[in-house]
Amino acid sequence: MENSVYENLPEISDKSAKTRKAVSLAVYIAAGVILSLIFLFPIIFMLATSTKSESAYAASAGRITMFLPDFANLGEAAKNYGNVFTDYGIWRYALNSLTYAAIAIVLNVLINGLAGYVMAKMDFPGKSFLSFMIIFLIVVPVETSIIPLYSIVKIMLGLKEGASVIGVILPAAISIFNIFLFSQFFESIPQEYEEAARIDGANTLVVFFRIILPLSKPIVATVAVFCFIGVWNDYIWPSMILPYNQEGEWPLYPIQAALTTIQSIQGITTGEIMASLIVTSIPIFIIYVLAQKYIVQGFGTAGLKM
Amino acid sequence: MTGSALIIAAVFIAIFVAFAVYDVLIAKKRSHKKYKTGTAVTAYLMLLPAVVLAFLFILLPILYSLGYAFTDYYLLQPNSISFIGFDNFKQVFEELAKGGTIYHALINTAIFVVGVVPLQIGLALGLALFVNKPFKGSKIFKVCFFAPVVISLSVTSFLWLQILSPSETGLLNSLLGVFGVAPHDWLRDPVTAMPCIIVLSAWQGCGYQMLIFLSGLSNIQKSLYEAAALDGAGAWHKFTAVTWPGLRSTFVYILITVFIGACRILTQPMLMTGYQNHTVTLSYYMYQQGYTYRWVGYSSAVALLMTIVIGTITLIQRRAFREKN
Repeated sequence: MENSVYENLPEISDKSAKTRKAVSLAVYIAAGVILSLIFLFPIIFMLATSTKSESAYAASAGRITMFLPDFANLGEAAKNYGNVFTDYGIWRYALNSLTYAAIAIVLNVLINGLAGYVMAKMDFPGKSFLSFMIIFLIVVPVETSIIPLYSIVKIMLGLKEGASVIGVILPAAISIFNIFLFSQFFESIPQEYEEAARIDGANTLVVFFRIILPLSKPIVATVAVFCFIGVWNDYIWPSMILPYNQEGEWPLYPIQAALTTIQSIQGITTGEIMASLIVTSIPIFIIYVLAQKYIVQGFGTAGLKM
Repeated sequence: MTGSALIIAAVFIAIFVAFAVYDVLIAKKRSHKKYKTGTAVTAYLMLLPAVVLAFLFILLPILYSLGYAFTDYYLLQPNSISFIGFDNFKQVFEELAKGGTIYHALINTAIFVVGVVPLQIGLALGLALFVNKPFKGSKIFKVCFFAPVVISLSVTSFLWLQILSPSETGLLNSLLGVFGVAPHDWLRDPVTAMPCIIVLSAWQGCGYQMLIFLSGLSNIQKSLYEAAALDGAGAWHKFTAVTWPGLRSTFVYILITVFIGACRILTQPMLMTGYQNHTVTLSYYMYQQGYTYRWVGYSSAVALLMTIVIGTITLIQRRAFREKN
C-alpha cells in the first residue's frame, strides 16, 4: 500500500505542475493580448476610421465602434481611399518618393560600395588619411548641420526649382557609415576569388561588379533597405528645399512632405486623413515584412556605431 | 561662400597630399612595400564620387556650422558675411536670461528628455523581458509591440493629432466623455502638451530598443540562469544578478542613442502644435531661426552650443556607466 502511494506521488505533482504551467501560460497570453491592444489601439483606430464617413465617425464617438470598421457601408471606405488617390493625388507624391528612393539606393550602393572596396582591397598613398577621416566622421557627434547644408544646396550649388530634386537625392546617396560597413564586409571575401578573375584579365571595375557585388548580396540588401526607409520617411529636409508655387501646388514633394499639405486642404474628412496616413505607411510595412532578415542584420551592425 | 568652400577644399587636398607623400616616403624606407601608380590612379578615380559628395554634404556643413556661429550670416545676403566674434553667443545667453523663446526651448527639451528617456527605455526593457519567453506565441506579441516603429514620425504626429483632437469626437476626449470628463485641448494646454508628446514618442520608438534589448538578452548564457536557480535565486534576484549585468553594454548603447535622439526632437512639435512657447524645442528653435527667419549665423551658434552640451552629457553617461573591470 505504502509503496503504491509513493509511486503515485510523482504523477500527482506532475499533474499539478502541468495545471500550474497552463495557468501561468494563460495569464501570460492574457497579459500579452492586453499589452498588444494598448500598443495597437492608435493603429486600429486609424484603420477603422479610414473606412468611415464624417457622420459615421462622429456617431461612433465614445463607443467601441470607434475601433471597428464601418462594415455596413464599405462603400465609404472605397470612397475615402478613392478620394485620396484622385482628388488629393497621393499617387503622384508616392511616385515621387519611390523615384527619389530608387535613385538614392542605386547611387548609395555604387558610390559607397566602390569607396568601401577601395578601402578594403586596394593600397594607395593617402589611405591612412582617408581611414582616419572615415572613423572621425563616424565618431564625431554633429547635432544639426541642416541649416549649413541648406545654405550649401541653395546658395553655393544654386539648386533651385526643379533642380532642388538633386538636393533631395545626393545627400541621401552618401553615407560614411555605409562605406565602413561595405569595407568591413569586403575584407571578409577571400582574395582567391579576385585573383582568379584577374588572371582571366578582368580589370578592377569588372572584378567589383562581377565578383564582389554578387558575393555581397546581404550587405547590399541591408544598405538598400535602410536607404529606402530613410528616404521614404524623411520629412523635414525635402519640405525645406523643394519649391512650391503660387497656386499652392507641390508637384515635386515626396509623400511625407505632401501629407502636411493634404491635411490642410479645406473640407478633408477625418476618414480621408486616416486613409492618406495608411497609404503612406503601407510601403514601409511591406519592406519590413519582406526584408526582416536584413533589417535585423542592420540592428546588429548598429551596435558597431558606438 | 564659394570662395570659402574652395579654400577649405584646397586645405583638405593639401593635407591629403601631405599624408600621401608621407606614405610614399615610408614605403620607400621599408623597401619591401611599393605602391603601383596604376592601382593608385584607379583607387583615386573610384573614390572620387564618394569623396566629392562627403566633402559637400558632410564635412563642409560641419565646418560651416562651426564657422557661421561667429558671423552675422543672413541667408539672403550670402555676399556680406562678416566676423562678429562671440556676439551670437552673447545674444543666446541674453535671450536665456530674459526668458525669451530659447529659454522655453531649453526647458521643454529638458522636460522631454527627462520624460521620454526613462519611459522609452523602461518600456523597451519591460517588453523585451516579456517577449523573451520560450513560448512560440510571444513572437506575435513582438510584432505587435514593434508595429509603431514602422510608422514614420510625421504619420505618427498626424495620427495622434486626431487622437488628441480638442473636439468632442476626438478619440481621447470622447472616451473620457463616457466618464463625464469635459473635452480638453490637450496640445494647446501648456500642462498637458509636452506629456502627450512624450507618451506618443515613447510609444512610437520603444519597439526599436526592444529589439536591441532582445539581441542583448540572447547573448546571455543560459548556464548562468541555471547556476542562479541552483543557488535558489528568485526571479528578481536572477534579474539583478544575471540579466542586468549581462545587459549593461546594451543598456549604455541604448541610453546614449535614445538620449541623443530625444535631444534632437523636432518633427512632433513642428507638426502638432507649431512654433509655440509651451512646445518649442531647441532643434525647433534652431530650425526657425536659421530657416524661417534666415539668421544662419545665430542659428549655427545655437547648434554649436547644443553639440557641446549634448556631447558633454554623452561623455559623462559613458564614463558613469562604463563597465567596472
